[in-house]
Amino acid sequence: MAASTDSLPRFAARKNALAVIYEWLGTADHKKIGLMYIVYALVFLVVMGVEAVLMRIQLAHANSSFLSPEVFNRLFTLHGTTGVFFVGMPILFGFGNYLVPLMIGARDMAYPRLNAFSFWMTAFGGLLLYASFFAGNSVAQAGIAPDVGWFAYAPLTATAFSPGHSTDYWNLALLVAGVGSISGGVNFIATILGLRCPGMTLSRMPLLVWMNLVMGGLVLVTISPLTAAQLMLLADRYLGAHFFDPQAGGSVVMWMHFFWIFGHPEVYVLIIPCFAFISEIVPVFSRKAIFGYPAMVAATTSIGFVSLGVWAHHLFTIGMPSYGNAFFVLTTMVVAVPTGIKIFNWLATMWGGRIRFATPMLFAVGFLFQFLIGGLTGIMLATAPFDWQLANSYFVVAHFHYVIVGGILFSIFAAFYYWFPKMTGRLLNETLGKWNFWILLVGFHLTFDTMYVPGLLGMPRRIYTYEAGRGWESWNLITSIGVIFQGVAVLIFVYNMVWSYLRGPLAGNDPWDAWTLEWATTSPPPEYNFAQTPAVRSRRPLWDIKHPEDPDSKYE
Amino acid sequence: MTAPEQKQHVSLPKPTLWPIALALGATLIAVGLVTNAKVSWAGLILALAGSVGWFFQVLPHENHEEVPVVPTPVPIATTRRSVERIAAAQVPHRARLPLEIYPISAGIKGGLAGGAAMAVLAMLYGVLSQRSIWYPINLLGAVVYEHVQVSSAQMKAFHIELLLVATALHLTTSILVGLLYGALLPMLPRRPILLGGILAPLVWTGLLYNVLDIIDPILNQRIQWGWFLASQVGFGVVAGIVVLRQVRIPTWQYPLAARAGVEAPGMMDEEEKQ
Repeated sequence: MAASTDSLPRFAARKNALAVIYEWLGTADHKKIGLMYIVYALVFLVVMGVEAVLMRIQLAHANSSFLSPEVFNRLFTLHGTTGVFFVGMPILFGFGNYLVPLMIGARDMAYPRLNAFSFWMTAFGGLLLYASFFAGNSVAQAGIAPDVGWFAYAPLTATAFSPGHSTDYWNLALLVAGVGSISGGVNFIATILGLRCPGMTLSRMPLLVWMNLVMGGLVLVTISPLTAAQLMLLADRYLGAHFFDPQAGGSVVMWMHFFWIFGHPEVYVLIIPCFAFISEIVPVFSRKAIFGYPAMVAATTSIGFVSLGVWAHHLFTIGMPSYGNAFFVLTTMVVAVPTGIKIFNWLATMWGGRIRFATPMLFAVGFLFQFLIGGLTGIMLATAPFDWQLANSYFVVAHFHYVIVGGILFSIFAAFYYWFPKMTGRLLNETLGKWNFWILLVGFHLTFDTMYVPGLLGMPRRIYTYEAGRGWESWNLITSIGVIFQGVAVLIFVYNMVWSYLRGPLAGNDPWDAWTLEWATTSPPPEYNFAQTPAVRSRRPLWDIKHPEDPDSKYE
Repeated sequence: MTAPEQKQHVSLPKPTLWPIALALGATLIAVGLVTNAKVSWAGLILALAGSVGWFFQVLPHENHEEVPVVPTPVPIATTRRSVERIAAAQVPHRARLPLEIYPISAGIKGGLAGGAAMAVLAMLYGVLSQRSIWYPINLLGAVVYEHVQVSSAQMKAFHIELLLVATALHLTTSILVGLLYGALLPMLPRRPILLGGILAPLVWTGLLYNVLDIIDPILNQRIQWGWFLASQVGFGVVAGIVVLRQVRIPTWQYPLAARAGVEAPGMMDEEEKQ
């Protein structure tokens, strides 16, 4: 990992500001687009973090009046919507955009201009959502920011219950962003299937690429039902249709099905690219090839398929026939099998390896343990009778935050520490990175371990306050204190990024002694990625070059 | 890893504002729905302009720019110490473990032998505890039927259909568990009989002891767990001994494609030719 003393490569002469703006607004370069996705998502990460802090201040004590119920409703709606659509997906699309062409030895995505269009649709969607704050009050003075929750159940979204345009902002913003996501998914699939360098057969693709391929397919299949449902909602609200109006023959349950056939696979759209990060980082820092590559690929594709058949476990409390309950209990539990295979394979990769706990690896290990617990509480909730007791409680909130923060966010931090040197040419500071990890770890567990308990004690989600004496106060106070730690950790991360970008040690082309193609070019890479198109003979092409006496290609 | 030719220029898509124009236009169409219809019309015009502009970016020929290749050396070398490998006799340093396995026939033989031992112990239990060799057979055969309470006399009587069902179940399960032993025992090189013959049956019995009351409470009432454990251990020990006595065969050390002589870029044959 020795840092190079060379200066960073420069591929372009100094340009004036207008040229720089044009270069970024008009770019079709996958790396610039990837970076724009990432920066955009980081801004919204801070925004949703602020929303979380405000909600936790409100809930830290019983009978708090820090926020009004109306503002609280808007905050949890925007927090959830932002987290899924304008932080999670964009940041993962950003990393995918940046890394996939480099890892397959391509010069760009298959459709570079469509790639730019995808980003800008996502970006404008997010801006439209938050424009609702500044667009004035609605007719009913109910506040114009959306307040119907991130899954916007009917009939709450009907004009009778949601007057004004707040719900329209939510609906239209996600429609716009959804078009961007679908076109992005198409691009990932076309790129991975069509632009691999010579020798890179499907069985030699890095796992990150495989997992982005599955993610792209899932995006295509899952965003479409949401978009369809949103168009129906638009018709209900603007054209007087009755898709979700039960008094006129419509069905509110139909919205739930449409939403969750998107919503649950969406979790896998978010987590599969995180599996991809872990699958690249764990082997490099264990100094071993990934254990069970074919099993990992099979498990990923299995998760993709099975995840399409689990959505109605979100509807156990709505009421389904016993066969429906049994089916969705079983399919949900079946997801645990390929997921378990992955966890065992990551552990087997580490087993007997020469592990180095650099910051990316610390976050990866944190991911492994926390995602496991998040997954296990998911199995608990997959059991219909258990879910009947705890649906819409803080137990559920704790479960999915364990997956989203403990799993997804930790793996994103791992990815930042691992690929930041490739993107900028400079290493992130390791000491600050370790502070970032440990403080975030403490904050995470203070917040979300304790959140399970009030859920078990019956605290419903989405309440803006609660009465004293129910046994919830101490748990909520600890949960809120944990958020302070998480906030500090994020601030350390932001400081580390800025400081390291300006003054961090030069990384060199391959600071981690890694094996995939992105490390075979300069840091940051030139516009064209590789001066010569690479050709590969194994899953670890750089290992083959570094160890000509013992190449992987002899054994694969 | 690299192709021999190095280009002086690389063709890349030329930057263009049309995608952002189309995206902004599409967004404005939506914005008009929550503000003013004129905004939607403006968005529509911008979206159309964006679409047309974009078409001309790719039709009839894609608009490219030639980016000069800056010759930058990218040395690829490990930063770790290089090590000398000791050539251990007959063991490749990247061996697929285990080096030897039992053939499938070993598992089948072990399963049948273990199944026979288990059957003897089960019938011994029937004779000593229930005064009938048919009791354990009926107990096993009855698991496929609806749960109904039957008298002890019925359980001790001979029933041909229960005998057939129990035999089929016992044989199938014995062979499958025998195959599992054949696959697992090479992975447990130390004390295979202890692990496969005693610990595994103990864990399995403990698991069933805890859950059988939920799965099949009527069956659970008739199980005598001491005898159950003894029959499981009997199976494990006998199956383990029979499997261990079989001759091992070496594991294939190269993947199927290589063994089949499939030629693809990067296969070992190509490597050797170079």
